[in-house]
Amino acid sequence: MNLAMLKPGETGRITKMGAIGPLKRRLMDMGVLVGERVKVEKIAPLGDPIEVTIKSYNLSLRKKEAEGIEVEGVK
Amino acid sequence: MSTQTTEVKGKNTDYRLDDEKKIITVAVAGNPNSGKSTLINAIASSRLHVGNWPGVTVEKKSALFEYEGTKIKLVDLPGTYSLSPYTQEEIIAGDYLVHEKPDLIVNVVDATNLERNLYLTVQLLELGLPVIVAMNIYDEAVAKGYEIDIKTMEEMLGVRVIPTVATKKTGLDDLLKAITGVADSTFLHRPKRLNYGDDIEAAASVVESRVRNNYPQLTEKYPLRWLAFKLMEGDSHAMEGINLGDISFIGEATEHLRKAHGEDIESIMADERYGLASGLTHEVLKKPEFKKMEITEKIDRIVLNRFLGIPIFLAAMWLMFKLTFDFSAPFADWIDAMTTGPFKRWAEALLGFIHAPAWTASLVTDGIIAGVGFVIVFVPVIFAMMFFITFLEGSGYMARAAFVMDRAMHAIGLHGKSFIPMLLGFGCNVPAVYATRTLENPRDKALTALLIPLMSCGARLPVYVVFIGAFFPAHAGTVLWSLYVMGIGLAVLMGLIFKRTLFKGESPMFIMELPPYRLPSFRSLMIHTWEKGKHFLIKAGTYILAVSILVWFLLNLPWGVEQRKDSYLGKMGQVIAPALEPLGFGNWEAASSLVSGLIAKEIVVGTMGEIYVQRTGDTDKTEVPTLTDDLKEIGTSFANAAKDAAGNVIFTFGIASMSSEESAEETEDRSSLRGMIKGQFTPLSAYAFITFVLLYMPCVVVAIAMKQEFGTWKWFGIAFAYQMVLAWVVAFIIYQGGTLLGIGG
Repeated sequence: MNLAMLKPGETGRITKMGAIGPLKRRLMDMGVLVGERVKVEKIAPLGDPIEVTIKSYNLSLRKKEAEGIEVEGVK
Repeated sequence: MSTQTTEVKGKNTDYRLDDEKKIITVAVAGNPNSGKSTLINAIASSRLHVGNWPGVTVEKKSALFEYEGTKIKLVDLPGTYSLSPYTQEEIIAGDYLVHEKPDLIVNVVDATNLERNLYLTVQLLELGLPVIVAMNIYDEAVAKGYEIDIKTMEEMLGVRVIPTVATKKTGLDDLLKAITGVADSTFLHRPKRLNYGDDIEAAASVVESRVRNNYPQLTEKYPLRWLAFKLMEGDSHAMEGINLGDISFIGEATEHLRKAHGEDIESIMADERYGLASGLTHEVLKKPEFKKMEITEKIDRIVLNRFLGIPIFLAAMWLMFKLTFDFSAPFADWIDAMTTGPFKRWAEALLGFIHAPAWTASLVTDGIIAGVGFVIVFVPVIFAMMFFITFLEGSGYMARAAFVMDRAMHAIGLHGKSFIPMLLGFGCNVPAVYATRTLENPRDKALTALLIPLMSCGARLPVYVVFIGAFFPAHAGTVLWSLYVMGIGLAVLMGLIFKRTLFKGESPMFIMELPPYRLPSFRSLMIHTWEKGKHFLIKAGTYILAVSILVWFLLNLPWGVEQRKDSYLGKMGQVIAPALEPLGFGNWEAASSLVSGLIAKEIVVGTMGEIYVQRTGDTDKTEVPTLTDDLKEIGTSFANAAKDAAGNVIFTFGIASMSSEESAEETEDRSSLRGMIKGQFTPLSAYAFITFVLLYMPCVVVAIAMKQEFGTWKWFGIAFAYQMVLAWVVAFIIYQGGTLLGIGG
């Protein structure tokens, strides 16, 4: 399961980062790390991008970028 | 005067030894949205110098001032989340810190978002430079019920931590005292060496000792620990200019590390740095157990709502657009009236008094004064636009706007934030080009600027109005609407083409913080607005003035030309005309008018008026106002302009909009011009002509704005070339296609 598949209100724990190179580093710089809890807050009115909460701040990213982030569901 | 040099030897290179001359250079680093700008504005305000970082168009702010007898030079680094080498901002910040070696880094940290902010702090500490942490937005953290143990944090980091509230100017004295005390050994400044865990430390110490032994010259140039980390990470930017020869020792040193963690070193390091930031946060921050719903969350529930999000966004944009242009229009008209009225008369009187030759009088009044007026006319709209853009950015709404619009803009290769500059383009392309600075990525910025000129600006409207009035009075609305839609449609088309050609490759990522809503301080807003306006006046103004004087020469030389046809402009028109033949308007009159439109597109109408309509020039017969009349006039008309601006702003909130009434003279001029062009154009060639006016080259002010924003003429060159081709092709299709179909022939 990847981050783009979570629905608003659902939380996941990051298990794997599929991205490589600058994209991966950028995501990591923003706190998107393996083991981190991430909650999907909203989907933009036009369906993309999405807003998530991570490390207690709000981050937005495109679904294409979220697809590379593997998560497992957490209650 | 002989300068006395005191040579200081040994370890005691204390700053205070020559404190008469010594300037403490302080680099200010921090995350975007950490209030760094506000902090700098609060400390430096009027002493602030705004320029660009060399070679790039990222804004550089610096200030030199004295605090309690110590000279301090503040250098504002671009806001970054990290010091990785992937964005322009990060590279600038990193390079400055490594190569310029400031005496001190002030790290502005958002107290409400400690962990992510400390990630940058951890990286700054790697440089080994003295650091002071400004724990900013402290009041909000307190209001949220956060308890931050400053003392423990100071002990853990080995540097001073000073709570500040930049918006309220609290803590700034403490911060400045700590800065001036940089030489004082009683203060902690040298950061502690944080422990990155056994594996990383082991690898780093191998690399460090290898560098120390084999490349001693590097240890003088670079902080050793920082260099070791960069070598391990394989940071190609940092390694530029460092020739190590055989670097296999790095691979050997990190082999265990890579095997044990099963990741690339860059990721392992990022992970560890965040680990340190998390650990620190855990130690020093106590959060209340129950989090109440925050104001940002409440606002976003509405503003980013699935159904309301877009209507709210569009309403906000409409409001901003109206406010920008309605507020500035009366002032622009006032400036215009002043430069064409009293100032021109005064100059004429003065020149007459000193018996200056006629051509000087014309050069001064029609060339220089008109040119200066032309520059100043843009000032109100630039100020107004900068004010609103700064407000949108500072309040946090800009990020939401990008979030809402990204899907649509991304389709044509743009970024969510491109929408606002494009929208402003309908008012005037000039502020629109300046507004592209909200886009961080150079690719997004360039592509947006290239498409802006296709947004039909207000200056093109007078041209449409004259032609539509003459040829399509019954379908005025439809024809006008078709032009705007054509511009947008072609922008989409060109966006798709550019995306696949000029900007081929992966489109930049969209990973953006949605910062909490905050009310920007009025002071910060004013400083930004003023700096931008000043910049435009001085830098762009010089160019624009030069070009308008050049056009004066084109129009009036060879001196004494009786007919426009014989002026250089007329001659240029005659040369160009054959190229316009297939478009249906291959005469020198139309061609010359188009050339003069280089200054501003509305001038096309003015030039046509001059060429087609023989003016009798009876305006001089009216009584010349006295100086007192003029001064009175200036005062009352400014008051009226201010009143109109206020009125327009108020009307924006209502349904009605004030429309300025045309003077009787103007209407008369136009109607006679309409009569003349009716004989020269057919409805079909008229439509081809206004399409050409919509699409052909951006005006000179846009050209200069592009040069200013990008530091090169390249993007204007591309815009000029593609728009010329596009204009010709579209007008060709309209005219020839229409002729084939037998429309309006």
